[in-house]
Amino acid sequence: MIILSVIQLVYVLALAPLIAGLIATIEERIESKKGPSIFQPYYDLFKLFRKESVVPSAASPLFRIGPYVTFALYMLLTLVLPIITAFPLQFGPVVDFIGGGLTFGAAATFKKLTALDSRNNYSHLGTSRSASIGALSEPITVLIFIILGVISQTNNPYVINNVLQTSTSWYLSLVHWFVAAAFFMVLLVETGKLPIESHSTAELGAIDQSMEMEYSGTDLAFFKWGGYAKQFLLMSVFLNVYTVPFWVPMRMNFNAVFIYMGIQLLKLIALSIVFSFLEETVSKFRLFKNFDYISIAFAMAFLSFLAFNVSR
Amino acid sequence: MNFIYALPMVASLIGALLCLVRIEKFEETISIIAALTSSIFSFVIVFLPNISNGFFFIDGISKIMLIVISMVYVLTAIFSTTFLKYIEEPLFQKRFYYLLLDLFTFSMFFSVSINNLGLVWVGIEATTVTSALLVAVENDEPSIEATWRYIIIVSSGLVVSFISNIFIYASTGTLEISKLLSISSFSGLLPLGAMMAIVGYGTKAGIFPMHTWLPDVHGKAPAPVSAIFSGVLLPVALYVIIRVIQFTPVSYVKTFALVLGFMTVIVAASLMAVQTNYKRLFAYSTMENMGMALIGISLGGYALLGVIILILSHAFAKSSTFFLSGNLLSRYKTTKIDKVTGVMKRMPSTAYTLLFSAMAITGMPPFGTFFGEIMIILVLLSAVPVGWTILLMAFLALAFISVNFKVGKMIFSDSEGKNMERKRVGTIIPIIDTVLSVAIVFFIPWIEKVIK
Amino acid sequence: MKDFFMLIGFSEILLVIFMQWEVYVTKIVKTFSVSSYLIALFLFYLSFIQHSYIVLVLAILTAVIRGFFIPYFILKRLSRDPWRERESTPITGTASSIIISLMIGIFTYVLYEATMSSFVTISLGALPIALIFQGAFLVISRRSAFIQLVGYMVMENAAFLFTGYLFPDLPFSVEAGTVLDLIGIVMISGVIMRMRENSAKKSDDFDELRG
Repeated sequence: MIILSVIQLVYVLALAPLIAGLIATIEERIESKKGPSIFQPYYDLFKLFRKESVVPSAASPLFRIGPYVTFALYMLLTLVLPIITAFPLQFGPVVDFIGGGLTFGAAATFKKLTALDSRNNYSHLGTSRSASIGALSEPITVLIFIILGVISQTNNPYVINNVLQTSTSWYLSLVHWFVAAAFFMVLLVETGKLPIESHSTAELGAIDQSMEMEYSGTDLAFFKWGGYAKQFLLMSVFLNVYTVPFWVPMRMNFNAVFIYMGIQLLKLIALSIVFSFLEETVSKFRLFKNFDYISIAFAMAFLSFLAFNVSR
Repeated sequence: MNFIYALPMVASLIGALLCLVRIEKFEETISIIAALTSSIFSFVIVFLPNISNGFFFIDGISKIMLIVISMVYVLTAIFSTTFLKYIEEPLFQKRFYYLLLDLFTFSMFFSVSINNLGLVWVGIEATTVTSALLVAVENDEPSIEATWRYIIIVSSGLVVSFISNIFIYASTGTLEISKLLSISSFSGLLPLGAMMAIVGYGTKAGIFPMHTWLPDVHGKAPAPVSAIFSGVLLPVALYVIIRVIQFTPVSYVKTFALVLGFMTVIVAASLMAVQTNYKRLFAYSTMENMGMALIGISLGGYALLGVIILILSHAFAKSSTFFLSGNLLSRYKTTKIDKVTGVMKRMPSTAYTLLFSAMAITGMPPFGTFFGEIMIILVLLSAVPVGWTILLMAFLALAFISVNFKVGKMIFSDSEGKNMERKRVGTIIPIIDTVLSVAIVFFIPWIEKVIK
Repeated sequence: MKDFFMLIGFSEILLVIFMQWEVYVTKIVKTFSVSSYLIALFLFYLSFIQHSYIVLVLAILTAVIRGFFIPYFILKRLSRDPWRERESTPITGTASSIIISLMIGIFTYVLYEATMSSFVTISLGALPIALIFQGAFLVISRRSAFIQLVGYMVMENAAFLFTGYLFPDLPFSVEAGTVLDLIGIVMISGVIMRMRENSAKKSDDFDELRG
C-alpha cells in the first residue's frame, strides 16, 4: 500500500507542470498562435534550479523557508486526497476533507506571510487582494465540504467518491450539482484563472503573480512547482469527487490503478481544454466585482443546503 | 329577471364604449347620462330582493356600495366637465379621460356584485389598471412618479391577496362568497388566508403600513380623480375586507384588523399635523377615515352599521373637499397651505363649503361621519379597555384640530383680493355634495333595514 | 412530479439571484424571459400528467405572453433610448444584494415550512413563496423603473407557479384574468415610461411627494 502512496506522489509532482503547460499551449493555439511547447514549465523549473537565490536584506529567515513549507504541505495533501484511487492509501486517515481544505488554507496563509516578509510593495498589494478574496472563498469551501459530508454521512473524501459513483440518485440530485457548480466557481478563484486573475504581471490585475515577486532561483522553483501541484490537486478533486467520479478503482488492484492513471490524465486534459476555452471567452472582472462572483458561489452552496432540506 | 342586477355595470360599460365616438362634447354628455342611468338602476336594485347565484352576490352591503359608487360617479362626471380645462397640457384627450373613468367605475361595479373571490380580485386589479393613467393626467414628472409608485405598490399588494385566495381555496374548497359565508368547518389555513387578504386589499385601501402610495397619488392627481379615489375606490377595497371578515369567524383575525386600523388612525393623525400641502392633508384624512372603518369592520355588529354610514357620508364629504381643492388649485395655482390666503374674500362660496366639508370629514355633527364614528367608538368601548378608546379619541381630536386649523387659516386669513368667483358647476357641485353628507343622517334607519 | 417541481423551483430561485447579480437592464429582462419559459415548461409537463387542455392553454398563454411578448415589448422600449437606462446598480451594492436576496429566500422558506407543515395540502408551496419575496426585494433594491416592473412580474410568475402546482383545477377564468391584468399593467407601464422620457414640464419639484 505504501508503494501506491509513493507512486501517487511521483505521479502528481511529475505531471503537474505538464498540465500547466498544456493549459497555456491550448490557449495560445485558440488564439491562432503557435504557443510554447507543452513541456515549457519543465524547462523553466530546470533553469530555475540551476540559478542562485537572491534574498532581500530586509527579509527574515521566514523568507527562505517559505517555499519549502508550502511545498511540503502540498506533498502532504497529495498523500491524503483521492487522486488515483478511491480507497484510502497509507496516509489517507491523516486528514479528512475539512482538514484538507484547512491545509490548503494553511499553505496559502504561509505564502501570504512570506510575501509580506519580502517587504515588496507589489507583494503587499497581491497579499491584501488575495486575503480579501480568500476570506470569502474559504468559508464557501468549508460549506461545500460540510454539505458533501451531509450527503454521505461522513467526511471522508474516499467514501464521498464511492457514494457518488454508485448511487445515481445522489449523482443526479440538485444538491450535488449545486455543490459542484459552487466548487467550480471556487476552483477558478483558487487556481487563479480568468475571470478572477489574468496571467500578466501588470499590477492592475495581479493577485497571485505578485506574491512571488521577490523570489528567485531554487526558492522560486519550489513556489512554482507547489503552485502547479495545487492546481493539479484541486482539478483532480473536482473531477474525482464532484463531477466525473467514475472509473476510479474502489478496491485494491494494481492493474486497475495503473489503467486509471492514464484515464485520470485524459480527464485532466479534458478539464484543461474547458479551462482554456473559459479563459479565452471571458475577460477579467473589475477587482470589486470579484466579491459579487463569490457571493453567487456562496448562494449556490447555500441553495444546495436548502435543496437537501427539501428533498429529505 | 336576474339581468337587472347587472344593469349598473352595463350602463357604465356602454358609456365607456360610446366615448370612443368622435363627436364634440359627446363624451361628456354620454358619461353623465351613463352615470345617471347607473345610479337610477342602483336605487331600483335596493328595492329588489337579495340575490346569490353563480354569478352575482348582492346583499344589503353591496346595494349600499352600488349606490355610493354611482352617486359619486355622477358628481365626478359632472365636475370633470369644467375641471379639465384647467390642466395646461393634459396627457391625453378628454375622450380618453371619460373612457377611463367609465371603465374604472365599471370595474368597481363589477367588484362589488360578483360572487367569486377570484373574479373580485380580477376586478380590483382592473381598477388599478384603469385608474393608473387617470392619475397621470397632469403630465409632469411628480405626477408620473406618483403614478408609478401607485402601480407598483398596489399591484404588489394584490399579489399577496392572490395568494390569500389560494389559501382560502385550499382550506375550504371553494371561492364562492355565498358558500364561504355558510361553511361550518375549515382548517387553520383560513385565518392565515384572511390575514393575508386584509394585508393585500389593505394596500389598496390605504391601511398602514402599506399606505405609502396614498398621499402621493392624492397630492398629484387632478381633483375629480382624487375625489373618486377617496370616495369610492378605497371603500370598495374595504368592502372585500368586510366580506373576508364576515366569513372568517376567528378572533385573532379580527384583532389583527383592529390593530392595523388603530395604527392607521394614529399614523394618519400624526402626519396630518405637519402637512404643508392641502391635498396631502385631505389624503391623510381619508387614510384616517379608512382606519376608523377598518376598526369598525373588525368589531362587527352594530359597528358595521357605523362603518356603512361612515363610508356613505365620507364619500360625499371627501369628494366635496377634493372638488373644492380643485377649485383652489385652479385659482391659486399652488398646493401649499401657506400660499393660499383669504379664500373668504376671493371665493366666498368655495370658502363656506370648504369650511363645512372640512368639518364633515373630521367627524363633526350634524354630518353623517360623526354618527358613524360615534357608533364605532361605542362598540369599541365595550370591546377593548377604556384606555385604548381614549387614545383613539385623542388622535381623532388631533386630526380634527389639524385639518380645521389649517383650513381655517386658509379661509379666514387676510388678504386683498377681489371676489372673482362665478357661480358655475364647479361651485355648485360641492355644495350639493356637502348637503348630501348631512342628508345621510336622515336615512340611517332605512340603511339599517337594508343591511339586515 | 415533485422532483420536476423542485428542479423548476430551484432554477427560478437561482435565476432571480442571477438577476440580482446583473447590472445591465437588458440582461435582467432576458433572464426574466428565460424564467417565464421555465414556468411554461412546468405547466406543459403538468398538462401532460393531468391530460387537461385547460392547463395546456394556460401553458401556451404563459409562454407566449410572459416569455416572449412582454420582454420583447420592454426591450423595444429600452432600445429606443439606450443611454437612459443601461445599467442600474442596486442601492445596497451588488454583493450585499445577492446575499440579502438569498437570505430572504431562505428565511421565508423556513418560515413557511415551520408554519405550514401541518397543512398537508400546501406543504410544498414554500419555493414559490420564497420567490415572491425575492421578487419584492428586486423591486425594492433598484431604482430603475424597468427593473421594478420585472420584479413585479417575477412576483406574479411565482404566484402563478404556486397556483399551478398546488391547485391546477382552479377556475380557468381566474388564471386568465391574471394574465390579462398582467398585460394591462405592462401596457400602462409602457405608457408611463414613455411619458417619463418626454414629460411636458420637467419640474424638479418633488417636494409634493414628500411628507
